[in-house]
Amino acid sequence: MTNADKISMLEEMLELEKGELNEGSVLTEMPQFNSMAKLSLIVMFDDEFGKKLTDENIRSFRTVKDVLDFME
Amino acid sequence: MSGTIDFTGKQVFITGATAGIGKETAVTLSRLGAKLILLGHLEGELTDTMSILDGKGHHAVVYDLSDLAGIEPMIRELYAIRGPFDGFVHCVGIRSRRPLAMITPVIMREVINTNLGSFLELVRCISRKGNFNPGLSIVGISSISSQRGHKGVTIYAASKAGLEAAGRCLAKELATKGIRVNTVVPAQIDTPAYREFLKISGENDESPDLLSRQYLGLGQPSDVANVIAFLLGGSSRFITGSAIPVDGGFLSS
Repeated sequence: MTNADKISMLEEMLELEKGELNEGSVLTEMPQFNSMAKLSLIVMFDDEFGKKLTDENIRSFRTVKDVLDFME
Repeated sequence: MSGTIDFTGKQVFITGATAGIGKETAVTLSRLGAKLILLGHLEGELTDTMSILDGKGHHAVVYDLSDLAGIEPMIRELYAIRGPFDGFVHCVGIRSRRPLAMITPVIMREVINTNLGSFLELVRCISRKGNFNPGLSIVGISSISSQRGHKGVTIYAASKAGLEAAGRCLAKELATKGIRVNTVVPAQIDTPAYREFLKISGENDESPDLLSRQYLGLGQPSDVANVIAFLLGGSSRFITGSAIPVDGGFLSS
């Protein structure tokens, strides 16, 4: 899966328009990145990448790139 | 409890006996003299529970209750080996936390089948003539989420609300057979599932608010297991069709 694919997944999850996110986008400044989006991220990591995210992991995510790096 | 309730000679079937409330219920009932049939889908954890029970003659069944079609033959096989039941406790439950957008048809089927469908199918099989002893008592584990709205638990809450509703209807329908059906409604209980929930959700979740409304603090699995033991025993003979809160006050606040 390319980074572009992963960014598309995040855009869909956050209900953003295509192209609205890039690696430098700061998630913590986005109103869409609320508690339900964080829960969605946990579910997405589990379903798509077989990884269990903790609250600590999520709090360490500032930019989209931080999330992409964790998807590896 | 052991001074007032005695399950010597009684056989109780418990689903979801590998962890949390189910495991504690198994330990509690074994101390009260019951012969147990424990069902779980993880063999290793089921063996762990079996190893800490009091008494002898217990039996373990490894089965995934999301497979509804296989329940009837599984129960038929159990009866052939073990004979009729005196109690049935449905502790199995998938604690699904997903926003609506992440609930897929596969998840819906898995959660509803496991938490609710298997209860109905098991009660259908167990309540047949000859499959139970007089005074059979059935207890299902619900949740406060069946009665209060919380974000991200829609499918889980719906399955538990269905369980409570089913319990009320089944209590009426099965009363003529002398069978009682009740549910218990726990709030936050200190189980491995609760600890996992905290680890994942941390301070971003509603958990602090949940606990502040639960003004007796965090419950222990034994708090629920003791109520289940009471509902299984003859001391509760006049209670059926009820959903009994074991919630540290949550539903009153």
